[in-house]
Amino acid sequence: MASAPFQFAGDSESEDDNFNPAPADLSDEEDGADHDDSPAHKKDRRGSSPAADNDHDEDEDEGDGDEPVRTSKKRAREDDDEEENAADEEEEDVEADGDGDEEELEEDDEEEEDEDDEDVQHRHRRKRRKDHRAAFFDIEAEVEDEDEAEDEERDGEEIEDFIENAHPDDIAEPLHDDTRHRELDRRREIEASMDAEKQAEILKERYGKRAHARGYNDMAVVPKRLLLPSVDDPGIWAVRCKEGKERDVIFSIMRRVEERAGTKDELAITAAFERGGPNSVMKGYIYVEARRQNDILIALDGVLDVYPRTKMILVEIKDMPDLLRVTKTPTLEPGAWVRLKRPAKHAGDLAQVLDVTENGLEARVRFIPRLDYGDKSDSFSMAAPPQRRRPGMPGPRPPQRLFSEIEARKRNPRYLSGNPQTNTWTYMGEEFENGFQVKDIKIQHLEVKDVNPTLEEVTKFASGAEDGTENLDLKALAASLKDSNSSVTYVRGDVIEVYEGEQRGVVGRAVNVQGDIVTLKVTEGELAGQTIEVPNKGLRKRFRTGDHVKVIGGSRFRDEVGMVVKIVEDRVTLLTDQTNTEITVFSKDLREASDIGGQGSLGQYSLLDLVQLDPTTVGCIVKVDRESMVVLDQNGDTKQVMPSQIANKLPKRKIAVAADRNGSEIRIDDVVREYGGQQRQGKIIHIHRSFVFLHSNATTENAGVFVTRAGNVTTIAAKGGRTTANSGPDLSTMNPALKRMGPNGPTGPMQPPKSFGRDRALGQTVSIRKGGYKGLMGIVKDTTDTHARVELHGKNKIVTVPKADLVFKDKITGKTIDIYSRGGRGGFGGGGYPGGGDRMGSRTPMGAGSGERTPAWGAKSVARTPAWGRAEGSGSRTPAWGDGSRTVNPYDGSRTAYGDGNRTAYGGATSYGGSRTPAWSSSAKTPAHDGFGHGSKTPAWGLGVHAWPERLFVFARTV
Amino acid sequence: MFFLHNLERRVTLHPSYFGRNMHELVTTKLVKDVEGTCAGDYYIIAIMDTFDVSEGRILPGSGLAEFTVGYRAVVWRPFKGEVIDAITQTVNPHGFFAQAGPLRLFVSSHLMPDEIQYDASATPAQFTNNADIVIEQGTHVRVKIIGLRTEVGEMWAIGSINGDFLGCLQG
Repeated sequence: MASAPFQFAGDSESEDDNFNPAPADLSDEEDGADHDDSPAHKKDRRGSSPAADNDHDEDEDEGDGDEPVRTSKKRAREDDDEEENAADEEEEDVEADGDGDEEELEEDDEEEEDEDDEDVQHRHRRKRRKDHRAAFFDIEAEVEDEDEAEDEERDGEEIEDFIENAHPDDIAEPLHDDTRHRELDRRREIEASMDAEKQAEILKERYGKRAHARGYNDMAVVPKRLLLPSVDDPGIWAVRCKEGKERDVIFSIMRRVEERAGTKDELAITAAFERGGPNSVMKGYIYVEARRQNDILIALDGVLDVYPRTKMILVEIKDMPDLLRVTKTPTLEPGAWVRLKRPAKHAGDLAQVLDVTENGLEARVRFIPRLDYGDKSDSFSMAAPPQRRRPGMPGPRPPQRLFSEIEARKRNPRYLSGNPQTNTWTYMGEEFENGFQVKDIKIQHLEVKDVNPTLEEVTKFASGAEDGTENLDLKALAASLKDSNSSVTYVRGDVIEVYEGEQRGVVGRAVNVQGDIVTLKVTEGELAGQTIEVPNKGLRKRFRTGDHVKVIGGSRFRDEVGMVVKIVEDRVTLLTDQTNTEITVFSKDLREASDIGGQGSLGQYSLLDLVQLDPTTVGCIVKVDRESMVVLDQNGDTKQVMPSQIANKLPKRKIAVAADRNGSEIRIDDVVREYGGQQRQGKIIHIHRSFVFLHSNATTENAGVFVTRAGNVTTIAAKGGRTTANSGPDLSTMNPALKRMGPNGPTGPMQPPKSFGRDRALGQTVSIRKGGYKGLMGIVKDTTDTHARVELHGKNKIVTVPKADLVFKDKITGKTIDIYSRGGRGGFGGGGYPGGGDRMGSRTPMGAGSGERTPAWGAKSVARTPAWGRAEGSGSRTPAWGDGSRTVNPYDGSRTAYGDGNRTAYGGATSYGGSRTPAWSSSAKTPAHDGFGHGSKTPAWGLGVHAWPERLFVFARTV
Repeated sequence: MFFLHNLERRVTLHPSYFGRNMHELVTTKLVKDVEGTCAGDYYIIAIMDTFDVSEGRILPGSGLAEFTVGYRAVVWRPFKGEVIDAITQTVNPHGFFAQAGPLRLFVSSHLMPDEIQYDASATPAQFTNNADIVIEQGTHVRVKIIGLRTEVGEMWAIGSINGDFLGCLQG
């Protein structure tokens, strides 16, 4: 049907010639005769016609419109031919005509080599022509012979001769022209010795011009739209046939065409094809092209499985091209993921293609068997094939489980055979390899598109590897996932690369995404700056090494954030921020991450938080997954916990303090080193009781976190401990130098009675005078400097209230009292609070001892109280104070002072009253005073010193 | 790369420090607060001087005074593509960590020349090409930064020694 554009102007043929183009030089008379002839007959005629109808040809050619063109073309082609002369003109014309036919008859895929031969023949042709004119016709016959390659019956004696002489070698003999012969031989030898490339070059040089000249015969230059069918072309009918037999029908038609070719009942159809296939919408039909519907009926008469008698559908012209539209069928490659459709038991199960058979009809797949090994059902299934058992629903199917040889042997040893070495088994007629079932399945019983294997499914396969390691074949997974590009989402700003299609290699930034169409602003290459629209099918996100990316989508590594270190095609390796490990994911699962963020968190818990697991266990979160986290507890064990298993999160207490091995104070963010063991070094991130959690960059294990005892570390910094950190006063809080200056303020922040000794507010009955709990009564259970925890009378609840909002009441009378006054002290002095001693060291007993108070303060060698005694025992560096500084003290402020004495003048002052010495002497350096720069240090000091005895005095008196 | 950078910062001062040498205190506080910190994408190495201390404003509610201080500081900003020298800290099979001043770098094994391989049998573990290049803990390396990540108070880089003149520094 596509031959129409190639008809020659001189063609006045019937419709048959459209299908099988005939020479243009047939005379009108012949035309008339041809109509009655059978095609086979005609072919014969065509072969011999030039010789017989030479004169007619010439006549016709005179009137032929394109004759001069051909002549000139011919000349161009043979201008190196010396023998050509004007006398040949007439013959030449004819010959040119013949040549034109010859070309017309040439197949499209005819090779240049053929033409080479042809050319060689041309040279001989000239020679022959000199000898006898008829030689020319020989060419015709000969070419015909070559093209049709069919044995044709020749009747004319003359023609017979020509055939004999057809071969150039043969021709040379009778002509007795050795030189030509040898020349040819030589040339052939040379050509044979040259390599193909050179030959091609020479041929190209030789015939390059010719290709131009014969342009109209070149398929490539014919515009596509001219090839579209028109009303002049034969129609196409869809003929019903048996589903699945489409191809067979076509084959039998083909056979029939071959059989009847050249006979009188040759098939009048021009083409037949099918577009069947399990998933095709065109299955159940074959398509036949013919001029008349009747031709089809005749052609298909008696062919099996096709029903031309039922209604044939004439395909509309505009639909014809669609019939031949090629849809790419998905190709199955080993390693790809598919879903099973057919063994009903396994419908929907994921399977992996191991191999595809040669004919592409079956694939060997492996999948996880669903065996229950139950003798009853299995023996039953043995007895009756599953097909018979399947009327209705397939019933409850056993869960997917890898094949277990042991179980099979236990239940049905009879049906089990195999090789334990290779772990391949045959059980119940099914093959099993490494626990997977292996089976050949027809491809139409496989779901190839939109497989979307989930990671869980895939990991089942992966974990089945022999060494137990996960060896995910990312490439195969990628191939399977590629079909389901719908899962890929592009958002504005993504840098995208086109890797498929015409615009391959274009890189741009997405400016708009609508459905499947992504609008790109091209950033690189020739198209830079242009905006193009591309379907998202052939796109992938593009990253560069060093990009900070976040994993999104279905990957196992979802929500990990990291930096790209390597990119291979669409696989990206990145180094995660959290754990400093390398992971590989598809670029489609990545998104550029904002610079900040990425610290993993799960609900309220985030990496490196300190959490309470149970009353005695705390842990530091070292890894946060999607649903769980890994916690390193105080004993150095890691465990995976759910957020629900966590009692609560312990806030980071900046003020927490501990003493290291040497008694130096250590705080959060200090850098310390383990004393023994591995001598690991790290920054303190949490202090919990006697445990410190350290973070180190040196290791990636547990996110660099490890735990040790506070007593087992030493400060890295200078010996003095915190000297550098405390080089100056904290300028955003009260000037410590001034703190001592307010001597008498009873509510002053650093009042000695409050700071030292048990808070008198403890245990008092109070009434709250402000806030949400205003008016409620309660008992103080615990206090800090500023706040008190009050157990309410009314509700079973402990609330935290600022101390200033409390009014102290007498327990019995309910009268408002001032507990800090002497009156309130009386009951307190009774000393019935054993807890106080623990917390504050030595203070309470001292206070309670109403007798010799001066000696108690003065003589430290007199070990009167347990606290003092303990102090003595541990050596001479005023352990009482040192001890105090080591414990984590809820009453902040005053405590630390003891450590070095220079921080709060207050501490120094106290020790003045007490055991003096180290603390005191260190404060003698008075670095603080310099730092304060508050002019004269003396006033502060002086005041402190002077005020103290006074206050002590007062204090003593109250006792 | 090091820069002299003019910066500004608000410093608060407790009222108890109000007095003659207030500006001095403000400067002290500024130095204490700022020096050696990471300010987003650069590190403040040292403060050269403060050239402008504004008048203090009392913050309502707290009584603290707020000063706006203009100062000049030496800052160091690592750039993508910059080549810096660093000291190897730890070596693991995926690559090695190195420290360039305050900046921590990771050089992945993907970003090393192919001939440099991890050798776990050596003590300490090292990357080596079995010839002149040995990268182990403490080795000085010249690294090209290919990626930078900034977090609050921290920077973090990925480096490459895949290139001319990069890698182990001899002597």
